[in-house]
Amino acid sequence: MWRLAVGVVVLIVYGWFLAATEVSLARFVRGIPWMADFLRRMFPPDLTVLASAAVGALQTLQIAVVGTTVAALLALPLGFLSARNVTSGPVFYPARALLNFFRSIDTMVYALFFVAAVGLGPFPGVLAVVTYTTMTLAKLYSEAIEGIEPGPVDAIAATGAGRLQVLRFGILPQVVPLFASYVLYRLETNIRAATILGFVGAGGIGFYIQTYLRMINYPAAAAVLLVLVAMIMAVDFTSSRLRARIV
Amino acid sequence: MIRIRGLRKTFPPNTVALDGVDLDVSPGEFVMVIGQSGAGKSTLLRCLNRLIEPSAGEVSLNGTRVTGATPEGLRAVRRQMGMIFQQFNLVRRASVMENVLAGRLGHVPGVPSLFGRFPRRDRELAMASLRLVGMEDFAERRADRLSGGEQQRVAIARALAQEPKVILADEPTASLDPRLTESIMGILQRINRERGLTLIVSQHMLETALSYGTRIVGLRQGRVAFDGPPSGITPEVVQAIYEGSGS
Repeated sequence: MWRLAVGVVVLIVYGWFLAATEVSLARFVRGIPWMADFLRRMFPPDLTVLASAAVGALQTLQIAVVGTTVAALLALPLGFLSARNVTSGPVFYPARALLNFFRSIDTMVYALFFVAAVGLGPFPGVLAVVTYTTMTLAKLYSEAIEGIEPGPVDAIAATGAGRLQVLRFGILPQVVPLFASYVLYRLETNIRAATILGFVGAGGIGFYIQTYLRMINYPAAAAVLLVLVAMIMAVDFTSSRLRARIV
Repeated sequence: MIRIRGLRKTFPPNTVALDGVDLDVSPGEFVMVIGQSGAGKSTLLRCLNRLIEPSAGEVSLNGTRVTGATPEGLRAVRRQMGMIFQQFNLVRRASVMENVLAGRLGHVPGVPSLFGRFPRRDRELAMASLRLVGMEDFAERRADRLSGGEQQRVAIARALAQEPKVILADEPTASLDPRLTESIMGILQRINRERGLTLIVSQHMLETALSYGTRIVGLRQGRVAFDGPPSGITPEVVQAIYEGSGS
C-alpha cells in the first residue's frame, strides 16, 4: 500500500520535472536537420589553425597539471584533519563541513570569481582548479585514511614510536598509492574542466573554441575540437596506465 | 618484573572484559594465557602496553608505572615490550626490512627516521633479527608477497629488533596451520631460553599452551581462574576454565 503511494508520488513528480524542462521528442526531431547542417558546416576542418589550437591545448594541460599538483599538496593536511580515525570530534566536524561546503561549488564558478579578482588569463584558471580540486582530493584522502587497516598502526604504536612515526610508518604506506591514483584521476577530470575555463576568460583551449564559434568559423572550431580530443585521449591513456601500475 | 594489580576493563555499554586481574610475572618466564574466546586474553595483553586503555587498576614494568604514564613515559615502556599479533599486522606494501626497522622507531633519532634514514647499527640489528627467524633472504621482498608463517616470523623479527625485555604475543598462531604453529612456538621458545626474554602469550590451543609454557594462567570471564605450572592442569581445572561460562 505504502509502496504504491510512494510510486504514484514519484511518477507525478517525475512527470512535473519533464514538463518543467519542456522535454519534447517532436521538437528534437524538428532540430535534427539543423544539427546535420551544423556538422556539415564543420567540414572540412580548417587545419591552418592547428598551431594556435595546439598552443591553447598546451595551456589547458599546463593549467590542469599546475592546479592539480598544488591541490594534491594542499589537500594533504586537510585530508588528515578530516579523517575520523586520526582527529578528534572538535577538529573533524568543522573540517568536514568546510570540505563539503566548498566542494559543492564547481570549478567554473570559482573561475568566474577569480577572473573578477585577478583578471583574465590562465592564472585565474589555475586558482579555480586548485580550489575545487583541493576540496575534492581532501575528501578522497580522508576516506582512504579512514579505510586503512588498524592492525599495522597498532603494531607501529606498540614499538614505542611517536605520533609522527606512526603516521609515517603505519598510515602513509597504506594510503600513498591510493592518493597517487586519486591525483591522476583528478588530473584527467581537470583537463576536461580546464577546456571550458577559456569560455569565461580563464585561459586555455576553450577560448579558441568559443571565439571560432562566435565568428561562425565552424571549420576552425572543428580543428580545435580535434586537437582537444587528441589531447584528452593521450592524457587518459597515460594516466590510466600509470594508475594501473600504482595500485 | 611485570606487576598487575586490580586490572579492569569495561567496554561500553557494559561488557566486562577484565574483572580485577592480579598477576606478577618474573624475568624469564614463558607465561601462556589460556581461556575461551571472550575470556579476556587479548584485552589483558593489550592493556599491558595500553593499546587498550584499562578502566581501572595498575600495570608496572620493572617498577615503572605503565598505567598513568605520560605519552613520553608510555613510549619508553612500549620500547621494552615487543608485541606479536594474530594477524601479523605487517605493513603490507612495505618491504620486510622496512617492517623490521619499524621495531627500531622508539630508539632511533626521530626526524631522520621520518625520511626513512636509520643509523647503521640499527640496520644491522634489524638484519640480525631477521637472521634469527631465518628470514634474512627475504629482506627486500614486499611483506604481502610472503605466506602467513613467513609474515609471522618477520613480525617476530620486528619485535626482537626492539631489543625488548618482554614479548607479548596475542594468539600468534591462531591464523596458522598446526605445522606452522610448531615452528612459530619453537622460535618463541628459543628466544625465551637463549635470550632469557620474558614471554606472555595468549593461546587458544590447550595442548600447545601446555607443551611450551613454563606457567599457565587460565582466564575465565575476565578473572584469573588458574595460575600455576603446566603440571598443575588437571581435568577439573580445564573444566573450571573452559566450561559453563556461557559462550
